[in-house]
Formats: sequence, C-alpha cells, structure tokens
Amino acid sequence: MEHGAGGKWYLNAEHYSNEIAEKYNLREFLLEQYTNFEQMSVRKVNGLSPVGMDHTFQMPIIGRLVKRVAERMLHSQKPPVNPFRPEGHIGQVIPMEDAEAILQHCACEPIIEKNCMCRYMTRGVKEACCINFGVMSEIIDKLPRFIPESEKYHLTREEAVARFREHNAKGYIGTIWYGPYPYINNLCSCESPECAGLRPRVDFGIMSIYKSEYLVELEESHCMACGACVTKCPFGAIRMDKVLERPVIDLERCYGCGVCRHACPTGALYLVPRDRFPALAGTR
Amino acid sequence: MRRTRIRIDYKLCGDGVGIDPRECGLCLRVCQPAVFLLHQTQGAKEDDPYDPQIWRVTPLWPSLCTRCGECEAVCPAGAIKVSPPVRPDGSAAK
Repeated sequence: MEHGAGGKWYLNAEHYSNEIAEKYNLREFLLEQYTNFEQMSVRKVNGLSPVGMDHTFQMPIIGRLVKRVAERMLHSQKPPVNPFRPEGHIGQVIPMEDAEAILQHCACEPIIEKNCMCRYMTRGVKEACCINFGVMSEIIDKLPRFIPESEKYHLTREEAVARFREHNAKGYIGTIWYGPYPYINNLCSCESPECAGLRPRVDFGIMSIYKSEYLVELEESHCMACGACVTKCPFGAIRMDKVLERPVIDLERCYGCGVCRHACPTGALYLVPRDRFPALAGTR
Repeated sequence: MRRTRIRIDYKLCGDGVGIDPRECGLCLRVCQPAVFLLHQTQGAKEDDPYDPQIWRVTPLWPSLCTRCGECEAVCPAGAIKVSPPVRPDGSAAK
C-alpha cells in the first residue's frame, strides 16, 4: 500500500472527510451498494460468476490470471461508478492502537456500530461489531437489518474506542477499509473465514487485504510458555515449539493484528514495525 | 480427485417454498470452512431489479468443501446434495 509523504494511508484524515464523499456522490452510491450488499459475492462480473470460481483460482496458470483480474478490480483507484462491484474495496489489518488513533482523530461523526455484513452472509448471525463513520452512518439508518437490536447504535468516540477494544480482546481482527477508494468508512472487527475481505487472501492468496504495518515479537524473559497465544492467533502464526519450550512466531504468517497480546498473562508479546525485518520489509 | 459440487434444491429451500433461509441458516452455521453464502436473490436476467426480501443460500466456495456431510444431514428440508457423495452408497453422514 502506498503511504505517500504522509505516512500510513489510513491515518490520512482527508480520506475520511465528507468533502470526499460529496465529491464522488457517495451517499447515493453507498446506499445502492449496501441495500444489496450480500449479493455482490455471487453477482456476475463481466459475465463471469464468482460462484465456483474458486476451482479456477487453484488452477496453475489460468488461476493466477483470474486472481490478478479480481485484484485489479479491488485495487482500482478510478472514481467509483458501479455500486454492484467491489471496485476499490481494499483494506489493511490494524492493531488496536491504530484503530484508536483513527477513532479519535480521523473518523467523522456520527459514528455508528452496525451488524457486520460478512457474519450475516456467511453464518446468518447478526453481530454488532462493525464501526462506520461519516456518510455511512446516514445510509445504514435506512437499512434495518444492519441496525443492532440490543447494542447501542450511535456511539461517541470514547464508546467506539471501548467497543473496539472489547472486540479486539475477544480475538477479532481489526481492519480498516476503503469503500470505495478514496473514501474510508469502515473499521471492522473481523474473523477468518467469515470476513469477505480476509477469506480471499487467507484461502486463495488474492491480495484483498494487506497485513498490518507491524509484526509480533516475544520477550522470552517474560514468557511462561502457557500456550494461550497459540490458541488465540486467528492466523495460526504461533506454535509451541517443544524443543525450545516456548512459542515461536512465524513472521511470514503473522498479520500483525496484535490480538495475541490479549491472551498473554505476562505481557510477553509486543508489536514491532514490519520493516524492521529486512527480509520482510516492503511486504504487506 | 473430482471437483466437489454442492447443489441446493431451491424447490425445497428458499423462495420457491416459502422457507426463508434467514430464519433457518443451519447449513451456514454447521459448515466449518463457511462454504455457503446467504444473499438477496437476483432476477432472472442480469439487469432485473433485485428483490431484497427474497433470500437464498448459495454454495460459494465448493473447492473448500471437506465433504463432511454435515450440511446434508442438518438441512431440515433435505435440500442439499453434495457430490461425489459423502458415502459410497450415496447416503448422508447421519
């Protein structure tokens, strides 16, 4: 993901502004898109149906071509035109600290927490863990299936931070999304494989989401080798090494979400910038 | 290994018979790799307007199916068929 001169793309407050939403008529666009959000996963794109396309993804040569076509659509930076396609719908995993910075300094009020679309479409379950801001809040007002029944819907910045921390502590992966580019309006707390953005990457290697700007490290002197982090990691990036008698983090599997830290009773896990590791520098 | 194909008979589940999959959703929850997707229906043609009130379940990721047969077993309408069959004699898992 290009950061440009300003650092992390998701900390660029311009992308959250109502001015950007106005410029691209995103109220109309997003209302159309979210009214029928769930069917985007099955609707034909250029005459091709995504249903069963996963068999094609796994073919040696044509699979790679088809995946690149999907990626090009997701990474599109052209002005959004078709609300029925997930064009310009790209995101990144973020740890709790970056999510808090977004909620305190970038997100436009009103801030809402709605029922997560992905959990509804993969499991038929309504769970209020998807935080939206800016014009998205007006749009969701019109779509009752996304409005939580028992949890608070409109949140103050502090309430949103507290809810995000709760989700993170449960092991939900923090993610921030362009939807569509260049507007950022979705701070979700995801699970794999339920998340429609995580699944293409985790299961098919499609670059539908970027790993975070961080990786996890272990401070061995604090570690009791209890193994709680091994269970907590949603990406299976930590394993208990019997020879070394301590957890070992696979830095190539680690997405830097940081939820493992909540499992550790001694605070032995901590985040470091990804680029500190020369072999992984520039990879996301 | 043959490709797994999962077919849902929409005469047994969904708008054809007045079963709203949003009320049921058992196949969605029992499937470990989350192969199924719940979504609004599309009209007969690509540019038909959607009916946001009529929903159905589609097996979206059949390549991830482990052929455990739990979906076939749990469906109260018996609408799901996995092929190649879960058992050699074509019976479901339970």
